[in-house]
Amino acid sequence: MRLDGVGRRYGVRGPWVLRDIRLDLPGQALLRVEGTNGSGKSTLLRLCAGIDRPTTGRITGRPRTAYVPERFPAAMPFTAVGYLTHLGRVHGLSGPAAARGAAEWLERFGAAGHAKTPLSDLSKGTSQKVAVAQALLAAPGLLVLDEAWTGLDAAAREVLDRAVAERVADGGTVVFVDHDPRRLAGAADARYRVVDGGLRAEAEGPAPDSGNATDPQLTVEAEGGPGRPAGPPGVPGAELPGRPRIAAGPDGTVRLTVAAAHSDALLRALLTARPPWHIRSVTSAAHSVGAPPAAHPEGFPPPADGLRSGPPGSAGSGHSEEVPLS
Amino acid sequence: MTALLRYQAALLAGSHRWLPPTICYLAFLAIGVQTGGPILDAYGWAAAPLLPLTVWLTRICLTNEPSAARHCAAAAAGPGRVHLAAVLTATLAAGLLALAGAAFVALLSDPHSSDHRVAVPVLPATLAGLLTALACVLLGTAVGALCNRPVLRGTASAVPAGLAAALLLLVLGASPANAAVSGLVTGSAHGTVTVPWLPLAATLLIAAAAVAAACALSARRG
Repeated sequence: MRLDGVGRRYGVRGPWVLRDIRLDLPGQALLRVEGTNGSGKSTLLRLCAGIDRPTTGRITGRPRTAYVPERFPAAMPFTAVGYLTHLGRVHGLSGPAAARGAAEWLERFGAAGHAKTPLSDLSKGTSQKVAVAQALLAAPGLLVLDEAWTGLDAAAREVLDRAVAERVADGGTVVFVDHDPRRLAGAADARYRVVDGGLRAEAEGPAPDSGNATDPQLTVEAEGGPGRPAGPPGVPGAELPGRPRIAAGPDGTVRLTVAAAHSDALLRALLTARPPWHIRSVTSAAHSVGAPPAAHPEGFPPPADGLRSGPPGSAGSGHSEEVPLS
Repeated sequence: MTALLRYQAALLAGSHRWLPPTICYLAFLAIGVQTGGPILDAYGWAAAPLLPLTVWLTRICLTNEPSAARHCAAAAAGPGRVHLAAVLTATLAAGLLALAGAAFVALLSDPHSSDHRVAVPVLPATLAGLLTALACVLLGTAVGALCNRPVLRGTASAVPAGLAAALLLLVLGASPANAAVSGLVTGSAHGTVTVPWLPLAATLLIAAAAVAAACALSARRG
């Protein structure tokens, strides 16, 4: 998907909220949009989601899209599961599939007990869960989250983090705004800041003030099966979910350290690779984003470098020779 | 589109906001359609109020969905289609009222001319009555689409404009709704049935143009 010279203003003579935005949204990517209040972040997200049309320029190649608003005060005559089933159908699912998806996502967000509650009786947090479930249940190609985490409890925020990781791992594009700089820190493929109606690409990786993030990290120890070249794992044609830091472990294993939110998606990618990886262990790693885990401090490539450059095995500096190529 | 229509119809049905226009229409029928009255007059009486009532129903359907929910649906299906589904739901609801009105008239009226001397064939009269009602519904849809979001966004402008437009279109001789209704009423004097093909074609074109314009604008102005 591509934004080409996109500008937006409200009213014929209104001031330009956004001007001449050029942006490529690749598949399988997580993009973070930042900006001060009123800078036009939400307008940009609405344009991406196709809710608004740009005043100038054009947007091409939008996949099937879902949008989560910041507030979902839904005074509508539906139960939670009834609303989700309707929206699932609007997203193109069949009736039974939509009902199944609705029940599953409410369950995942811990709101299964509210499935039959009228939307107007739900608390703010629970209606936000419904809004998020609405977007996730049809597995959209583009997911646009406008501060979707606001109002969710800690457990639901974590579920949403994981769901975002899953969407990206499945080849989708996720665009999000959140005021918490640690939100999905280190996992975003690109960060953009809306300044004076324009879009500025920021340095990749975690936001500057998230360096001391104490997000829990997990280390997955995996082993390539016979016939599989070991080394930084080659999941075909794709980079791994959550962009794990990769290091060689003992006995020809590979250690992948990733933010806990991405561990499920990472495991799934490893287990469904052809041939699949064998998982030896999953342990919680020393936290702190940025510093390599204590277990292998020899200066392994910074996040994602090992995956982004060159063939498997070529990227490591210290230990890559020790990884046997079977 | 089916999914969107189903969603909008459930929204309208569950909100119970269809009740006031329905009660108004039934009251209007109860007052105006008398047992044994001339059938063509009664069809004219049953069709005319559908124009303002359709404007009302369109406003209900276009304001029924909270904007956050509308944005969610618009991301999934496109804002134009979401808008079209809301307008069509109102048209279909008004169509149900029209059917109820026609059934009421067919059951109670006397199939004769106004002076009760010339017999009027029931089936052609019912066809003419239904098509007149449809013309009123379509013109009401056009007014409703143009006198609501996204064209007129404030309640202070939308409601008076919609009401005034509906009443003018009923009264002015140039309006196709007026032509269809007066065709029935004047035909009733001599017992001749005038099927309003021309007014119906005109309202169909007007409604299609108005709804298409509103849907195209809905993506630009939210």
